[in-house]
Amino acid sequence: MIVKILLSIWMAVIIVAAFLYAGAAIGFPGQTSRILFFHVPQAWIATLAFLLSMIASCIYLAKRRVKTDHLALSAAELGLLFCILATATGSIFAKATWGSFWNWDPRETSIVILLMIYGAYFALRSAVPDPEKRRVFAAVYSILAFVTVPFLVFVVPRITASLHPENTMNPANPGMDPKTLKVFLGSLLAYTGLFVWMLRLKMRVLRLEVLREPEFVDTVIGEEGNLEPNSE
Amino acid sequence: MRSGRWLTQTGPLTYLNEATAIWLRDLRGEFRTRYAVNSILMFAVTTLVAVSFSIGSFRIGDAEKPFLYSVLLWIILVFSALSGLSRSFVKEEEAGTIDVLKLSARSQAVFLGKLFFNLTLLGALELIIVPLFILLMNYKIASPGHFAAMVISGGFGLGAGTTIVAAMIAQASARGALFSVLSFPLLLPLMITAIKGCERAADGMNTAGWPEVRIAVAYTIIMIIMSLFLFPLIWEE
Amino acid sequence: MKELEHFQENMYSLKVSKISKHYARTLLFKDISFELRPGEVLAITGWNGSGKSTLLRIIAGLVRPSLGKVEMFMKDEPVPKESRRKFLGMVAPALALYDELTALENMEFFCKVRGIAYDRESCLNMMERVGLNENANKTCRNYSSGMKQRLKLVQALLHNPPLLLLDEPGCNLDSNGMKIVEDIILEHRQLGMTVIASNEKREVAYADRALNLSE
Repeated sequence: MIVKILLSIWMAVIIVAAFLYAGAAIGFPGQTSRILFFHVPQAWIATLAFLLSMIASCIYLAKRRVKTDHLALSAAELGLLFCILATATGSIFAKATWGSFWNWDPRETSIVILLMIYGAYFALRSAVPDPEKRRVFAAVYSILAFVTVPFLVFVVPRITASLHPENTMNPANPGMDPKTLKVFLGSLLAYTGLFVWMLRLKMRVLRLEVLREPEFVDTVIGEEGNLEPNSE
Repeated sequence: MRSGRWLTQTGPLTYLNEATAIWLRDLRGEFRTRYAVNSILMFAVTTLVAVSFSIGSFRIGDAEKPFLYSVLLWIILVFSALSGLSRSFVKEEEAGTIDVLKLSARSQAVFLGKLFFNLTLLGALELIIVPLFILLMNYKIASPGHFAAMVISGGFGLGAGTTIVAAMIAQASARGALFSVLSFPLLLPLMITAIKGCERAADGMNTAGWPEVRIAVAYTIIMIIMSLFLFPLIWEE
Repeated sequence: MKELEHFQENMYSLKVSKISKHYARTLLFKDISFELRPGEVLAITGWNGSGKSTLLRIIAGLVRPSLGKVEMFMKDEPVPKESRRKFLGMVAPALALYDELTALENMEFFCKVRGIAYDRESCLNMMERVGLNENANKTCRNYSSGMKQRLKLVQALLHNPPLLLLDEPGCNLDSNGMKIVEDIILEHRQLGMTVIASNEKREVAYADRALNLSE
């Protein structure tokens, strides 16, 4: 309860500070640089969520604890959410700065690919009826997807740089001005807090939903949740 | 009634024998029914004809050709592949033979056998479509060796990246669309690399070291290794 | 006989402990336990849909039980789950063979993939024993269901498994075919373990004990 209130207050503070406290960065038209206080943390959280989901998937495949799969799923759902937000805010920024909503430069391309991976992950989850299989398949896919990411990191910049000689987005330098830096870091903290809070909420929901699944029909759930079926 | 023989110890060397048995059986079945080959080739030829017809009369500048044609070629190859590569697993599932396969063969042998089969299909696809494409579109290629290497390594990558996905979707519902949806994000780095590689081979500039071919080979190796680890998790209960 | 010694020496046994299976929120069966040793035949009976086939599939390792476990032992050493398939042969209505191959090609494939040397004569003998010889060169697509069933029996015995899992082995068979099934069960009973899932009296006639899933 307290966390929820603190988070909302902090987020409100950051939003206000983003517009009133920090100055608009030089080199960006008008006030557009302010979106970076929101866009960059969203993109970072989206990628972090993907990493978290993948690690949880590995652990799930090793230990097969249902709770770990819940972590993977929740992280993926939130990752998708923040990915959509990041794409949207990035697009708005692009329109304001360069006049067009979409340019296919490296960062935009990467975020779209991440979006596609998330989409595929959820398509897979919804297509497998058996719960145990669903978890295993989703975990396997998320590991495979992660493995292709280093290739993307190397390959995409080479390609798009040479194909599109125009500017590449470089929002990673808002740390010029100390005020800006403070707001930026504060925003990062706020978004991370939001992510963690939503993650835990999501996992609690999943823990209750899983009771509908056949293996857990007889399970009684305690405080921390005696979730594993009694199989050896 | 009994055969008088029983299972010998199978070891790492026999993987290839078992995989080959699966591969050859798939080939034999395919030869008799020609289902996958037909669907892949029909898709490819139809798309190729459509592309060639639409672009043929439209003048594309020579400077644009290497790149644009490379893109078109790989779109045709990838989407044709996606229309047929899930066949080997889906057919087993639909015919009901998947259980007896699970009971008879080791997981990794199944994976390798199916991989070889998919690579064979891809080889046939490329062998027919790539020359046809070059002919129909009048694609001028400066270094054919580089081009061929790119096409071949790209084909291997296509097979490596999609076989395990095919195994997953065969055991899921809504198979056709799901296969493309799942494979595409995994294939994207390969596709981008292959397009770039073919473009470079075609315009002949900056071809030292064949970097794209090396990336495609690395992709293939990594995807095969990961699949060998992960496939048993999908195949066994 | 060499085989008798082989099986007795290796002392295979099967242990099933408190297996339950849920399927889409309905409970199929609960707390199934039994042990099986060479020379024993277990019959599993029950209404249609009571889960006989599923139980057999769980024993085979094709399906994961919701609760409980299945263990197979060789000389009291547990057999790892992935290897269990080497020691069992299964016949079931759901288990199909390759339609686009001939009977011999099917057998050749199974030999190669299971790691047995393929011996054409031996396979032909086995097929003749189940009444299939004249059709050795037609693809299975053209077989009647009775012929396919006989081929399934051959497939299950190719690698001489100590455990036979028979799910309705007489399905699609005429009385000659049933006689062959009975012979197989009797022959295997000397050497190994058999589990038969069926409601047919003739098929479960030789069982030492029965497990009724409808209780």
